[in-house]
Amino acid sequence: MTIPCSIESEPRQRDRYAIVGVGNSDLGRVPGKDSLALLEQAMRRALADAGLRPSDIDGIVSRGPDDVYSHHQRMGQRLGINARFSTSLDNGGASQILGVVLAVMAIDAGLCSTVICGYGRNSWSRTHATREARVQAELIPNEQLPREFAPEYGYYGAVGTHALGARRHMHEYGTTREHLAQVAISFREHALRNPEAVMKEPLSREDYFAARFIADPYGLYDCSLNSDGAGAVIVTSAERARDLKAPPVLIRGFGTFNNLRGWTADRNMVETAAKGSGQTAYRMAGFTPDEIDTAQIYDCFTGMVIAQLEDYGFCAKGEGGPFVASGALKLGGRLPANTSGGQLSEAHVEGMLQIVEAARQLRHTYPAERQVAGAETALVSGHGGNTVCHSTLILRAGR
Amino acid sequence: MNENFDIPVPVPSSETEPFWAAAREARLVLPRCDACGGHWFPPSLACPRCGFERYSWVPASGRGTVFSFVVYHRVYHRAFKEKVPYVVAVIELEEGPRLISNVVGIAPEKVRCDMPVSVVFEVLRDGFRIPKFTPLG
Repeated sequence: MTIPCSIESEPRQRDRYAIVGVGNSDLGRVPGKDSLALLEQAMRRALADAGLRPSDIDGIVSRGPDDVYSHHQRMGQRLGINARFSTSLDNGGASQILGVVLAVMAIDAGLCSTVICGYGRNSWSRTHATREARVQAELIPNEQLPREFAPEYGYYGAVGTHALGARRHMHEYGTTREHLAQVAISFREHALRNPEAVMKEPLSREDYFAARFIADPYGLYDCSLNSDGAGAVIVTSAERARDLKAPPVLIRGFGTFNNLRGWTADRNMVETAAKGSGQTAYRMAGFTPDEIDTAQIYDCFTGMVIAQLEDYGFCAKGEGGPFVASGALKLGGRLPANTSGGQLSEAHVEGMLQIVEAARQLRHTYPAERQVAGAETALVSGHGGNTVCHSTLILRAGR
Repeated sequence: MNENFDIPVPVPSSETEPFWAAAREARLVLPRCDACGGHWFPPSLACPRCGFERYSWVPASGRGTVFSFVVYHRVYHRAFKEKVPYVVAVIELEEGPRLISNVVGIAPEKVRCDMPVSVVFEVLRDGFRIPKFTPLG
């Protein structure tokens, strides 16, 4: 039984809160900084962007690798602040948008007034610092990894999990590796326009097909990057935003959905929680998919982009492959997406940089070759938490 | 020496113990609700469909289909170094529940979604057996 959502009239929170500062740390290979240091760097840059001091912040919502305990407390200590509202999140790649959602809810409830949200990881350094580290590719502590129904079958890692979904999608809808390739190639083209992106070389169709398989149908270029990096955003009321330095980006709508029955249950592998999460966000925003000017889609793997585009209603279910192959996601296309290069080609920071990029696009601060012309609205997706959690953020320019 | 010696053996929980105990005897069993008769997996305290709190471990037919599958080329654990490329699949059992397993006895490039399969058991160390699936017919 599904309890109908009763958001019928204009939601009270729509356009009442704003992102007023964004920042990212150095990205890619950043030896010498752990996940907390990277996040501190991103948070301090977001504060500078907003023209705020740490003492102006009274809320923290953060996340880092799963083995960093009491994450938000450590960030407060580094920033030298106490906070009226402070917590860490546990929804994987869906956490970063959830952090913004929680910030809005906390401010709306009168718990605090200005919240800094962020995520940091040091995945590259962890896996390359020493020879031993190279085999430890997970951010999950060993004792939290599955101990039955996985290791005895050689079922390891996020690549295999997501590749199961891609295979079923191919089977049901005729999606091909040619389609997957076009996701990787489109985002690589965007990365070449982003000086901070980790990937600097063009990616051809031939490069894609020549690359080794990791877990077929996924090859090397279907997989997001293993990066050091962090991102942060500052959320406050739209009213307060008017007095601040940066042009505000209004929070128009948001939604979450969690397919907790499991990735392998029901149709969750091919019809993701982006569907329920998107429906809630569109309803709150009062927008249809046609009214979205740019999308920043959680691109842990190429196939997840295709499935989410369908689940968000940017094309019909099963038509994500041809939609991508039409060039729709490229700058100048129907739905310019992952315009920073995304997690496939800029850096993988569990969706945090997608929020940062959407905000920057809506401020129109980029040079013309990176700017989505006339962008007034953006949709951002977050996906993760053992592949079943999803969050959606819809933003609009507040200039 | 058993070529599967290095493969990590499952670490059963109190709830999955009956599954692995039966597997040691080359039997595939599932929890079935004593009220509504539905099967589910992985086990939990009560039937996720009707909430009834008594269930029995009953034999499964061992037949099912490949809901989806992946061919692993990367070696994540030394025990699989000689086994790549190998197939990890989601098997949809006739009774309804889906299991993670391997498809064996067929070249990886010939595996297809919805292909009918049936259970076989492979021996690991310490007398552990784990259910795998092979094409029917």
